Amino acid sequence: MLRTIKNRLLRLRYGDPVIVVSGLPRSGTSMLMNMLTAGGLKAVTDKHREADTDNPRGYFEDERVKDLATANDKSWLRGARGKAIKIISHLLTELPDDNYYRIVFMRRNLQEVIDSQNIMLERRGENNPVEDSKAIEHYKRHLINVRVLARMRNNIEMLEVNYQNAIDHPAATAAAVNQFAGGELDENRMAGVVDASLYRNRRS
Amino acid sequence: MLGAKKKIKIDKDLWEKISVIAKAAGYSSADEFVIHALEKEMAEFEDAETDEEIRKKLRGLGYIS
Repeated sequence: MLRTIKNRLLRLRYGDPVIVVSGLPRSGTSMLMNMLTAGGLKAVTDKHREADTDNPRGYFEDERVKDLATANDKSWLRGARGKAIKIISHLLTELPDDNYYRIVFMRRNLQEVIDSQNIMLERRGENNPVEDSKAIEHYKRHLINVRVLARMRNNIEMLEVNYQNAIDHPAATAAAVNQFAGGELDENRMAGVVDASLYRNRRS
Repeated sequence: MLGAKKKIKIDKDLWEKISVIAKAAGYSSADEFVIHALEKEMAEFEDAETDEEIRKKLRGLGYIS
């Protein structure tokens, strides 16, 4: 009941929510974006980063997101109201206050995240500047900070989705995400694009 | 509300250890030691957001500019 009232007030103030798909890089954010667009939600993407070995179904990204930490004008994000946009977790603190955000936050085994990131770095010909053990400790703290952020900001709601659980139970995941996003998406189509063969770098 | 304080409950045995350590470490009181320890722990969470090595990694992955 309280949540419904809160949602109505937020909608009155900010309009439709921006559906943000977030998480650490390589935690399943592209898969979730794919689910949302398959379900009928429009995505904010410039298609600049094309599908490749690391993300065969595409990245669903917009280059403007990368500059959120430095940009003075973030008003373009208002255009994402009622749509889905992918924003990695380290940029969530940069979200401006003039929108209402529903964040679908992907969680994945941290060692798998690191393994996948390291493979991607290698493919891109980039050095890995941080030891895995240090990165894991950082990510643990960072993920707590994200939860704190979601609790502290009145214009943010967050649903956490476990990547492995989404692979194992796509229909239930689609139902939960659809309900969170407003309940108007095609859950069968959402579940239908979950491809377990893309779950690489498994640790369990 | 300026200067308002909250109280927390700490196990008696733990508090006695804290008091001994606080005194040995030169804190003016056990309270001061606890506040310092909590601030230090909080700072580690805040510092996690500005770690330059992690930012380099995210840049290398193509997720931030």
